[in-house]
Amino acid sequence: MDIVSGSAGFFPSKPSLDGYRTVFSEAPFVTWLLNSLMTSVIITVVTLFTSALAGYVFAKHQFRGKKLLFILILATMMIPFQVIMIPTYLITAELGLVNHLLAIILPNLVSSYGVFLAKQFIEEIPQELLEAARMDGSGEFRLMLRIVMPLILPMLSALGIFTFMNSWNNYLWPLIVLNDESKMTVPLALVYFNGTHQVNYNVVMSAAVLITIPVIIMFLIFQKQFIKGLAMTGMK
Amino acid sequence: MSTAISTNKADKVNPAVKSTAYRAKRRFIIISLVPILLLFGVFAFLPIAWSLGLSAFKYDPLSSNAIFVGAENYIRMFQDSIFLKSLWVTFKFVFIAVLINIVITLLIASAIQRVRIPWLKNGFRTIFFLPTIAPLAGTAIVWNTMFNYNDGLFNMILAKMNMAPIQWLSDPHYALYSVIMMTLWADIGYNIVLFIAGLDSIPDMYYEAATLEGAGRWHVFLHITLPLLRRTLLFVSITTVVSYFQAFPQFQIMTKGGPFNETRVLSLQIYEQAFSSSNMGYASAMATVFLMIILLVTLLQLRWGRTQWEH
Repeated sequence: MDIVSGSAGFFPSKPSLDGYRTVFSEAPFVTWLLNSLMTSVIITVVTLFTSALAGYVFAKHQFRGKKLLFILILATMMIPFQVIMIPTYLITAELGLVNHLLAIILPNLVSSYGVFLAKQFIEEIPQELLEAARMDGSGEFRLMLRIVMPLILPMLSALGIFTFMNSWNNYLWPLIVLNDESKMTVPLALVYFNGTHQVNYNVVMSAAVLITIPVIIMFLIFQKQFIKGLAMTGMK
Repeated sequence: MSTAISTNKADKVNPAVKSTAYRAKRRFIIISLVPILLLFGVFAFLPIAWSLGLSAFKYDPLSSNAIFVGAENYIRMFQDSIFLKSLWVTFKFVFIAVLINIVITLLIASAIQRVRIPWLKNGFRTIFFLPTIAPLAGTAIVWNTMFNYNDGLFNMILAKMNMAPIQWLSDPHYALYSVIMMTLWADIGYNIVLFIAGLDSIPDMYYEAATLEGAGRWHVFLHITLPLLRRTLLFVSITTVVSYFQAFPQFQIMTKGGPFNETRVLSLQIYEQAFSSSNMGYASAMATVFLMIILLVTLLQLRWGRTQWEH
């Protein structure tokens, strides 16, 4: 955004909204926005849930092989996406999901980082609190939803913001798995506009502004949690 | 300890209640972990093993028959001048970009941390942080237009200063540095925030003591700030190195590896071999090397960090 206004000063031409009009009229831009919004929201909501659930199990329950499983999950944090993208593509193709939004959603419903963070935070919750609720006849799921999740809300909101942003901005995986124009997400859309409107900067810039605005709004609303979350989790 | 007490109590009260509670917990663990582990299994564990296996095959997804070739992909790789070049370019990019990144983020963070007016401090932090939340693909495209030879912003500025225009992205001497410039602009916000947090956690009394003893600014930075910031420094350097090794959108969008492969980083090379040339086996072998490099670099950094702490 800064650049757009910056370069606008450099070209003293009359401002117009033509770029935006082209973006909406020449391409299914609304569909792309909705694709991005839908996948990002689903991924965020489910990831928060699975992270809290797995974190709760690993922090407060005992079972055989727990330590090994946890280490295995942690180990996946170290694996760069480029290493697993080829088999992940083959698996997705095997499942018949190429060019389907589920291909974006399904591999991203769990986060090893999320499980790790949730476990760290849930371990701090005093056992007495959980026992008291169990005495009152709460089932484990209710306990997780009603007691554990509210107590780790600051951590969950930080994780949620980063999950949403990463999913909204993700470029490499959608590039591999989505070719169909109607299925694209917004980062791909931008590249599409760049390919078809290389001379017409203002169309590309308008698209860039439009796809950046949602994350900027998110950032401005959650700025405090964002900064705190980054310092807390160091997520990138 | 509290657990032990409460289960003991439950034991005395009613063993039947205890065993149903136990069974309920068991069921909860199974029901909640099975789907989660299935997702990890299918989209994390399985791909890693598959990738390692695939690197021993000649595999083209279009012809869909895999031929076992053993170590041939690995042998081919070390005779492949483009692969070797991409290794060199990757290391060059990571080394230069990480070094500059850490130096300037540390400088900017210390400057921002000195600001005592809260809204101004927040304002600075937000300004540096905003570029990081924009999609990197978008930033790359916007910078592409700024790097344009004929009417890009940078050459306009050079023209105003009566300097010759530069082929930012197509001159082999400048292309990699242009991408580094863009990457730094897009990315330094994270490390600035992390460094500010690290600096904030250093107690003021150390600085006060140093000032009382008449230590200079540079002396304070070298002997108080840096040692106490070591943890943050190690964390920042590891995460930055790992993320820069994986840098992809800026290269794919801005230069496509050109000119003369001067910006062909390994992640781009793996992507193109796998999905443009359909050499998935060969690309998997490269991915294995990539994984080894990242693991090795991370371990080295951790070890370096630990020995530093012991002193």
